[in-house]
Amino acid sequence: MAPPPPATAVGDAMTPLPVPRDSRANIDIMAVTKGFHWPWFAALVLVLIGVAQAAFTLAYQTYWGFGVAGYQAPVFWGLYIVTFVFWIGIGHAGTLISAILFLFRAKWRNAVNRGAEALTVFAVLTAVLFPVLHLGRLWKLYYLLPYPNQRGLWVNFKSPLLWDVFAINTYMLISIVFFYIGLIPDIAMARDRATGGKKIVYTVLALGWQGTGVQWKAHSRAVLHLSGLATPLVLSVHSVVSWDFAMSVVPGWHATIFAPYFVAGAVFGGFAMVINVLIPVRRIFKLERYLTNYHFENMSRFILLTSTICGYAYAMEYFIAWYSGVEPEQTSFWLRLFGPYWFSTWCMITFNVIFPQLLWIKRLRTNLPFLFVLCFFINLGMWFERYVIIITSLSREFITGAWGLYIVSPVELSILVGSFCWFSMWFLLFLKAFPVIAISEVKELIIHEKEPGGAH
Amino acid sequence: MPTLVSIFDLPSDVANSVRKLKARGFDDLTTYSPAPFPEIEDAEDPKPSGVRLWTLIGGLLGVTTGFAFQIWASLEWPIKIGGKAYTAIPPFWIIGFELTILFGGFATLFGLLAVGKLRPRKLDPHYSRRFSAEEFGVVVNCEGRDVAEIEALLREHSAKEVNVVDS
Repeated sequence: MAPPPPATAVGDAMTPLPVPRDSRANIDIMAVTKGFHWPWFAALVLVLIGVAQAAFTLAYQTYWGFGVAGYQAPVFWGLYIVTFVFWIGIGHAGTLISAILFLFRAKWRNAVNRGAEALTVFAVLTAVLFPVLHLGRLWKLYYLLPYPNQRGLWVNFKSPLLWDVFAINTYMLISIVFFYIGLIPDIAMARDRATGGKKIVYTVLALGWQGTGVQWKAHSRAVLHLSGLATPLVLSVHSVVSWDFAMSVVPGWHATIFAPYFVAGAVFGGFAMVINVLIPVRRIFKLERYLTNYHFENMSRFILLTSTICGYAYAMEYFIAWYSGVEPEQTSFWLRLFGPYWFSTWCMITFNVIFPQLLWIKRLRTNLPFLFVLCFFINLGMWFERYVIIITSLSREFITGAWGLYIVSPVELSILVGSFCWFSMWFLLFLKAFPVIAISEVKELIIHEKEPGGAH
Repeated sequence: MPTLVSIFDLPSDVANSVRKLKARGFDDLTTYSPAPFPEIEDAEDPKPSGVRLWTLIGGLLGVTTGFAFQIWASLEWPIKIGGKAYTAIPPFWIIGFELTILFGGFATLFGLLAVGKLRPRKLDPHYSRRFSAEEFGVVVNCEGRDVAEIEALLREHSAKEVNVVDS
């Protein structure tokens, strides 16, 4: 029997070997989190000012009462609910990219899924603020939840508003879980290269991840199951939001098309926001090698598809209003186009249906400055879509004597601006804390390409 | 007991060497990978991951809790709404569904933590930051008499380094 070889420590055994270079993906993508970037810093200062002014406005509204936000009969769902629906919609692209495209094994998603997931989490964290702001009396927040109380009362489980509480909170929590599970391998990679305080934080968050076969198998299975759970969830969330409207009998809201119409609109707006955010990130942090024109072209295709679905839904709304023969319904839709809010309706149609049709041209799908401007208008159009649905319907209900005109108040505008700043603040902080591209998933593709025969 | 720490560049080589090692009865091994590669995971342990059971139990618990809680609360404070029965099932599907996803999702997370033994802890002594770059590791614990055979087998499958250490 051969004698065992001499015992040596791991360090001794590996010392004579040349120190291997780190993965280029690690270096390039982690570079975003390191160093000082002027555009990033300037943006952070700007958004912090925006958040501060909104916090001041909120304190003012809380002290003086909800009346300062300009709410009066007949429109009691104003800009806060419009913006709530807008942000929930923005959160949909992340889950679509992470979960649905994962189930379809669309590998191109690997480069964009982390950024999109982060956008989802931060969009939902922004959205959940609005029903609270809309309460006016913020300290009554817990009334929304079913909890044991001395009065023996329970919430109304048959109300779409309560369904919304459950749907939105579930979506927020599951999005965070999904986001964190995806981050674990990359946090471990960052832990292996960090020093000082960052290393301690990454060590705790990485949960002892080492990339063993058992860990990867459990991780892949967890991602698969969460994708399976998140796919119906994402479809349900905006459906439930749509039922806040569709379950009522308000003209313009009482339509069975609302659920698929809202979901398509959410994916449409979500993709536009992902493009709007990732184009500057790609440019500022020099990530052209990872976020290529191919990725943006694929996302453009989704935008074209969902824009067309939205266009169909808009057309069907008008057709059904006419075909139903219900006069209040017909009047409501006529006034959308030619009433006091005509501007928002025509913005909605132009930005959401007409402009995106330019994406049939391949050259434009890969022209990033064009895409950036187009997606900006799409986001504007999607915000106007919610404005049209909510405001025009509420201000023109059944009894003409009860009609009113809604005018946006400065308090609402301040909170609206603050919401964009709040969302951007989280994303900017995320950029400096965690890899904006899922490095382990990108490496999966890079390593596959090294195999004889290339990627498969 | 000696331990062999080997380094590979390609997942197919890792999977092939692990399969060979296991076929020869060398079961006490761990692989380290910078990215998910099912061929390696299955070579190391072909059994399906236990996470699936966690998800199933979480989901079932969620749907049961969702319906049971709504039915109980509606009977606890009976009030007619919209002419529906106190325990009208169709509207309860929404919250029942949401809780299925919520409980199932959290159970999946806990399943991952349990099955993957994830918690803040000291890393394995043979773990290297090279395994979170683009290299793979196969660590085999064996008897002293088997070292030469295992080393030959690993090198035969394109291991670019094999270090023998005493653990």
